[in-house]
Amino acid sequence: MKNSIKLIAIICTAIVFVTANMAMAQKAGGPWTVPAKYKSMKTTVKAGDASINTVGKETYNKHCKSCHGAKGLGDGPKAANLKTSTSNFSTAKFQAYSDGEIYYMSFIGRDEMPNFEKKILDEADRWAVVGYIRTMKK
Amino acid sequence: MKNIYITLRISALMILTLLLIKSNAIAQEEVAQDSTVQEAPVERPVRPAFESGLLFDATTTTVSPSKTLEFILQHRFGYIDGANDFFGIWGASNIRVGLNYSITDKFTISAGTTKMKRLQDFQMKYKVLEQTRSNSIPVTVVVHEVIGFDARDASTWDQNEGSPEYKFSNRMSYFTELIVSRRFDDHLSLQVGGAFTHYNCVDSVYDHDRISLSFAGRYKFSPQGSFIVAGDFPLDITGIKDYKKDADINTIIYDKPNISVGVEISTSTHAFQIYLASAQGILPQEDIMWNNHDFFKGGFMIGFNLTRLWNF
Repeated sequence: MKNSIKLIAIICTAIVFVTANMAMAQKAGGPWTVPAKYKSMKTTVKAGDASINTVGKETYNKHCKSCHGAKGLGDGPKAANLKTSTSNFSTAKFQAYSDGEIYYMSFIGRDEMPNFEKKILDEADRWAVVGYIRTMKK
Repeated sequence: MKNIYITLRISALMILTLLLIKSNAIAQEEVAQDSTVQEAPVERPVRPAFESGLLFDATTTTVSPSKTLEFILQHRFGYIDGANDFFGIWGASNIRVGLNYSITDKFTISAGTTKMKRLQDFQMKYKVLEQTRSNSIPVTVVVHEVIGFDARDASTWDQNEGSPEYKFSNRMSYFTELIVSRRFDDHLSLQVGGAFTHYNCVDSVYDHDRISLSFAGRYKFSPQGSFIVAGDFPLDITGIKDYKKDADINTIIYDKPNISVGVEISTSTHAFQIYLASAQGILPQEDIMWNNHDFFKGGFMIGFNLTRLWNF
C-alpha cells in the first residue's frame, strides 16, 4: 500500500514537472520583416576596424550579453526566461543576413527583443556592434 | 547677506540665459551657412562620461535621452562607529526614492522624497554644452538646481522660546551647481563643479549660505564595472559666513567635506553603486551644509544606489 502511494506521488510529481516544462518551452521566433530602407543600409564600420573590438565589444557586453551570451550562442543568463528562443549568431544562417537586417533586428527590435535606439545613440557605435556580431561567425 | 544670495542667483540666471541665447545663435548661424555652403560634417557627441545621471549623491553630466524615466533608490546605513550595529547596517539609515524624467535630450526634471527631515525635493538639470568626438567642444557642461522642502511638523521651527515666528518659507533650501566634465577615454572620466547652497532658515549659530567645490571621477575597469570617487568641499568664505566658531564651545561645526568611494556595476537598464561615504544627507545641500564626519578619521558609512531606466 505504502509503495503504491509512493509510486503515485512520484508519477504525479513527474507529470507536474513535464507539464510545467511543456508550458515554459520556448518557441522559435518567426521570420523577421525588415523594411527595405533598413535592408539596404550599409555599415560605416569596415571589418577589422579598431572600434569593433573596443566600442562594439563593450557595447555588446553591456546591452546584449545577458540574453545572447558572451559568444552570441543565445545562452545568456536571461535567455531561459524568454518566451522566444534567442538566435545563435555563430551560425551560417544568421551570418547570411545583410548588415542592414542585423541592424534592424538588433536596434529596432520586436516583441521581446527591445528597441535599443535610445540606449545606443550613436550610429557608428551601432555599426561597431554589428561588426562585433560578425566576428562571432564560426 | 540676503543681497549676496540674490546677486548670486541673478548672476547664475544671467549666465544660463546668455548660454542659451548663444547656443541658439550658433544654431541659426549653422542653418544659414547650410543653405549657402556645402553640408558641414556632423559633430558627434562622445558617449556619456558617466553610466548614470547619479554618482553617490552627486549629479553627473549624463542626461538620458528624451522620454526616459529613471527610478532611483539611494540608501545609506548608519555610521561605522564601533557600535553594536553590524557596521552600521542595523543603525539609523537614510533613504531617498526618486524619479527622473528627460523631457528633451538636454533637460531633465526630478522629484524625490528622503527619510531624514522628510525632505521633498524637486530638481532640474540642463545640458548646456556637450563634448564632441572631434574635440571641437572639449567638455560637457550642465546646470543643476535642487529645491528642497522640509516636510516636518511646523513645531520644528518654533520650539525654542524667542524663535522667530514660523513661516512656510522656513522649509525651503536651494542648491545650484555648474558642472563641467570630460570623458578622457573609454576608461577615465572626470568632472568638477562649483555650487551655491542656501537655507532659508537655520539655527542662529549656523550659515545660511555656502559655496562649495566638487569633483567626481570614474575609472572603468570592465565593460560593466567602474571604480568611482567623489568629493564635495565646502569653502570657508568669511564674506558669506553667519556663524562664529567660538560662539559656543558646544556648538557642532558642520564643515567637513563629503567624500565617497565605491564601485559601480551598470547594465543596459540598471546602475548599481555600492560605496563608503562620509555624509548621510543624500541631497547635495544637506551633505554640504550639515556634515561633521571626517572620512579620513573613520567617519563613513556603507551606502548603495540602484537606478532603473525605461524608454518611451
